[in-house]
Amino acid sequence: MSTAVTTGRRLAPQAGEVIDRRAPLSFRWDGKTYTGFVGDTIVSALVASGVDVFSRSFKYKRPRGVLSATFHDPGCTVQVGDEPNVRAAHRRLAAGMEVSPENVWPSLKFDVGAANQLLGRFLSSGFYYKTFIKPQRLWPAYQQILGRFAAGGVTAADAEHGYFDKRYIHVDVCVAGGGPAGMAAAVAAAESGASVLLVDEEYELGGHLRYGGDADLAALAELRAEVAVHESIEVMTNAAVTGRYDMNWIAVVQRQPGISVQGHAIHERLCKVRAGSLVVAAGLIERPYVFAGNDLPGVMLSTAVRRLVNLHAVRPGDNAVVFTANADGDACAQDLRRIGVGVTVVDARTDANIRRAEGGKRVKTVELADGRRVDCDLLVTAVGWTAATPLLNMAGDRPQYDATAARFFPTDRLAANVVVAGALAGDGSTSELVAHGAAAGATAAARAGHGSEVPAPALARVPHPELYRSTTHGIVDFSEDVSSKDMFSAKKEGYDSIELVKRYTTVTMGPSQGKLESANAVAIMAEAHGVSDFNEIGTTVWRPPYVPITLGALGGRGFENTRFSPMQPWHEQHNAKPLVAGDWIRPEHYGDPAAEVANVRRSVGIIDVTPLGKLDLRGPDVPKLLNLLYVNKWSRLPIGAVRYGVMCAEDGVVMDDGVTGRLGENHYIMTTTSSGAATVWEWTENWLQTEHPDWQIHVTPVTTGYASMNVAGPKSRELLGRVVSGVDLANDAFPYMHVRTATVADIAGCFMWRIGFTGELSYEIHVPAAYGLHVWEALFDAGFDLGVVPFGVEAQRIMRLEKGHFIVAQDTDGLTLGFGADLGWCIKLDKDDFAGKPELVWQSRRDDYQRLVGMQPVDPTIVPAEASQIVEGTKKIVGRVTSSRMSPTLGRSICLGFVEPRLATPGTIVTCQLPDRRRVPLKVIEGLAHFDPDGARMRI
Amino acid sequence: MSGPPIAPIPVARSPIVATPPVEVVAGWEVSTHRSTAALRVSDLTWLCKVAVKADANGAFTARHPTTFGSARRLPGDLIEIGSDPGGWLTIGPVGDAAALVERLTDEVADAGEMVSVIDLTHGRALLRLTGPDSVGALAKLCAIDLADAVTPNLAAFRSSVGSLVTDVVRDDLVDGTLSYLLHCERSSGQHLFSCLVDAGAEYGIDIAGPPI
Amino acid sequence: MIQVPCPWCGPRNSMEFRAVGESKSRPDVSTTTPEQWRHYLYTKSNLADWVTETWYHRAGCRRYFAVERHTVTNDIRESRLPAAQLRRQSDSGS
Repeated sequence: MSTAVTTGRRLAPQAGEVIDRRAPLSFRWDGKTYTGFVGDTIVSALVASGVDVFSRSFKYKRPRGVLSATFHDPGCTVQVGDEPNVRAAHRRLAAGMEVSPENVWPSLKFDVGAANQLLGRFLSSGFYYKTFIKPQRLWPAYQQILGRFAAGGVTAADAEHGYFDKRYIHVDVCVAGGGPAGMAAAVAAAESGASVLLVDEEYELGGHLRYGGDADLAALAELRAEVAVHESIEVMTNAAVTGRYDMNWIAVVQRQPGISVQGHAIHERLCKVRAGSLVVAAGLIERPYVFAGNDLPGVMLSTAVRRLVNLHAVRPGDNAVVFTANADGDACAQDLRRIGVGVTVVDARTDANIRRAEGGKRVKTVELADGRRVDCDLLVTAVGWTAATPLLNMAGDRPQYDATAARFFPTDRLAANVVVAGALAGDGSTSELVAHGAAAGATAAARAGHGSEVPAPALARVPHPELYRSTTHGIVDFSEDVSSKDMFSAKKEGYDSIELVKRYTTVTMGPSQGKLESANAVAIMAEAHGVSDFNEIGTTVWRPPYVPITLGALGGRGFENTRFSPMQPWHEQHNAKPLVAGDWIRPEHYGDPAAEVANVRRSVGIIDVTPLGKLDLRGPDVPKLLNLLYVNKWSRLPIGAVRYGVMCAEDGVVMDDGVTGRLGENHYIMTTTSSGAATVWEWTENWLQTEHPDWQIHVTPVTTGYASMNVAGPKSRELLGRVVSGVDLANDAFPYMHVRTATVADIAGCFMWRIGFTGELSYEIHVPAAYGLHVWEALFDAGFDLGVVPFGVEAQRIMRLEKGHFIVAQDTDGLTLGFGADLGWCIKLDKDDFAGKPELVWQSRRDDYQRLVGMQPVDPTIVPAEASQIVEGTKKIVGRVTSSRMSPTLGRSICLGFVEPRLATPGTIVTCQLPDRRRVPLKVIEGLAHFDPDGARMRI
Repeated sequence: MSGPPIAPIPVARSPIVATPPVEVVAGWEVSTHRSTAALRVSDLTWLCKVAVKADANGAFTARHPTTFGSARRLPGDLIEIGSDPGGWLTIGPVGDAAALVERLTDEVADAGEMVSVIDLTHGRALLRLTGPDSVGALAKLCAIDLADAVTPNLAAFRSSVGSLVTDVVRDDLVDGTLSYLLHCERSSGQHLFSCLVDAGAEYGIDIAGPPI
Repeated sequence: MIQVPCPWCGPRNSMEFRAVGESKSRPDVSTTTPEQWRHYLYTKSNLADWVTETWYHRAGCRRYFAVERHTVTNDIRESRLPAAQLRRQSDSGS
């Protein structure tokens, strides 16, 4: 063995140590270089090097050292490189780590008294609420100061998101907690034939056995070997079950799973587990004692000392006072004696007690209840346990306090698919805990369908002194700096429920979320109220997550779908400006939308309309369906014809529109708006499946089976004549509002219809999608001499506005009923039934709804912003502008909008208030169309 | 410019950008990249895909006993999938769609039953994920239990894969290698492909052209 | 996340579905009154009890079906075809 240089606090090899003395590591803390070993935590390496203080407390800025030496240790949160909020008593040391303290404003070594004077006004309980009342003008200043209070580290503004992973897991049994009971449960469940996920927060399985004596280590080796032989057990360490939800949907966060993807280490993985049964073997958490000076560096829990000594071979002090109420405290005293630390035992079971600890950056003296003063640099407390019940609470349980054993125990209110194992259920030797765990594991497996249940052997509830607070006041919540005095004050101010006290004082609301503090908080509430039964106080509700999770892990990898048409490569080559339209990326324009409009009106243009929803409808009953879905009539649509239709929802509100064409005797294609494609399909299925299952209709969505392109403009027929075969394009052979199947640019199976959204002669061609780019390019090749250019969504929007065609959800909203949208001409109230009919019948008898009208600003250069209000006087809104553009065709601004019925008469001048509060007059025009109102251009 | 335009030769394209080298094979632009990686993803969009809708208790069902949620391999390199209650999707060799549509239509032409046969070749993107680690990669995207007991070979299901509605068919290779066919509506094909490549990165996934 | 037992696909995560809402029968449009129709459109009984709901398996079989769910415990005791399909089955004597 090589002799690595360490300071005097590193011990000779210990039986259960997890450090590798052959592998020294160098790292930096607060600007200085230190060394440790592989297997050290950041904190154990620093303690071994003589460092006592790792942070400043949240409010009082007091120095904080090791308390629990676990992930939850409130004083050991540090910054590692770019990563904030690293739990230094948990995180394993790595070579070259750049570790720095967090939350040490003004600095780690700043004088405590000075800080307290400076910050006095912010330190009372409820300071959040009190500070922000008056005067309001000081709020920005408070914000500045409180901002510096905020716990937490820093992230670089340009930090990468990193690679956070997610994974779904299906198991019969999930075991939360890898101590003796959890390991035994996993083995028993596996032996029953169940698949098992065994999760533990630490880097290795074993729980408290890891830092125990020889017998514990022997039992640990045996259990680990049993776990290892079962291939059906997946072991996940350095991971935590953070939540249990309905039907055993379980969240497990796996930290640093040791996987790299393309050179990037996965920081955290969120596993979404569906388990038949959940075994909760979360064990006990040692709780701190409340007394003056209980947060001084050098005041530690007995389990913290045993971890440092036995796992990391670190001497946590030289002269110790051990205040013990139980066997674990006694074992700790023994461990300390073994490594040569002077120990003064204060035994709570003989009614001895400690009153206060004194010191500066480290404990120096302990004053006992009998007045004696003992000098020391380490004060160890072993005053009892908090049952780690959060997962049980999430499964419906409300654990009850047992004064004899001085802790909470589960009740029988648990969901059947959740089983308790081990120390949560009671006290026992290792073999008793293992037997209990094994029974729980077998029962859990049985409830997931493997083997049969095994009754759990009863575990005793060993009497334990109730020790929560001494005769002095001290810190209850180490993360939030809440003292027992604060809680008494809260009681005096009238906060008498634990839930209110929690919110007012913020006790149990810090990063450790009550794991160390909740029992003490309940006890002190009980004391303040003079109540002896803690169950009268109750506990605060434990909610997920059990441990903090990074937002990155919750966000995971983005799965946002992006949809492209087959012509996307062409659009990109031709500098199309991308428009995000729902999931779709569409060309907004290719540089100059006004020129695109002019080109379409003059010669011919082509737009990619692939996102248009398309449903293939087949069967003899399709006309019945169309009559039901649309407000207009469909019984007599001839083969080869298309018709425009509007759909209303059952509340009469305009839902979607589009054209439907009849391709054959029993074959139709329905188109919907691009954004309505999915909704209309679901709506159609809803009618067929839940109202008319007897109708013979097959509905198949074919939206992206076809690449769709609209060829528009007076020269569109000439252009298509060059590429279309099998169809006579002459006006009388293929008139407006008709459909033909055709071969286009050698591609068979295309269908095309003559419609006129832009107001021009135009053909919408639907091409088998894999050939979309081929046909698109062929059209441009063929029409080069005709001046064909592409046009985007913006040019199309301008042209449809010139024509007065409304767009559902742009010009209509969730309150626009059919007649309001000027659809009276196509709503056929004499049909027996259609979606929304009753509301439309009633609307037809009223006259009080706003009307869709065309409007033109009197000043043709003003384009009122969309959503500008139409107003009367200073307080009355009588309409709104829903669409507005400068019309390149007319050389003036044009609008669509809603106005009250009395203002809908053509020629009425209404007042529009612009966003800058200017008021401008608009004139209501005849009809909705600003251009070619008779539609002559579409019919040429 | 005037005169008759020169029509380019039609080329069919998948929605997924083909990994070089790219060639036109059977009228389709495909990648001819070969891979021997343990985990591979291939774009098989060019295969023909024909959907049938029929009465769940009718004549077509009697002749095609592939139940909803399962698939069968049929002679002629066909895979028939029970894709919906009363719905089937048959995947076959590239270019065979028209013949397949005709055959399936003819089969029950005189049964007096309403059967719809629709060529969905152009409407769907089709991928194959192959290799022992395909379960691990899929489990990062899909909440369905991929264990043999739940989804054995030739199990078919539709669920969310990378937040996209996707049809999945477990279709192991002849030598027993684990393999999945995945298909989704065409315009989302690149998204599904990217999700699979990303999920497979941990296992060293490679992209391979379709078998030619 | 609860699992919803789809009559066709088996238990699936609720995220795959659209919860359409409490199952209601559509009034006869030729005789309905505004009160009846708007009750159908807008009111919900919102019981803390067993309720019959309609769900749509959007990411699966695309089928609508009825579910009996307890709104307090999320227990689901039955999922079945929509009422109109069950009526049709019994009418055709199958």
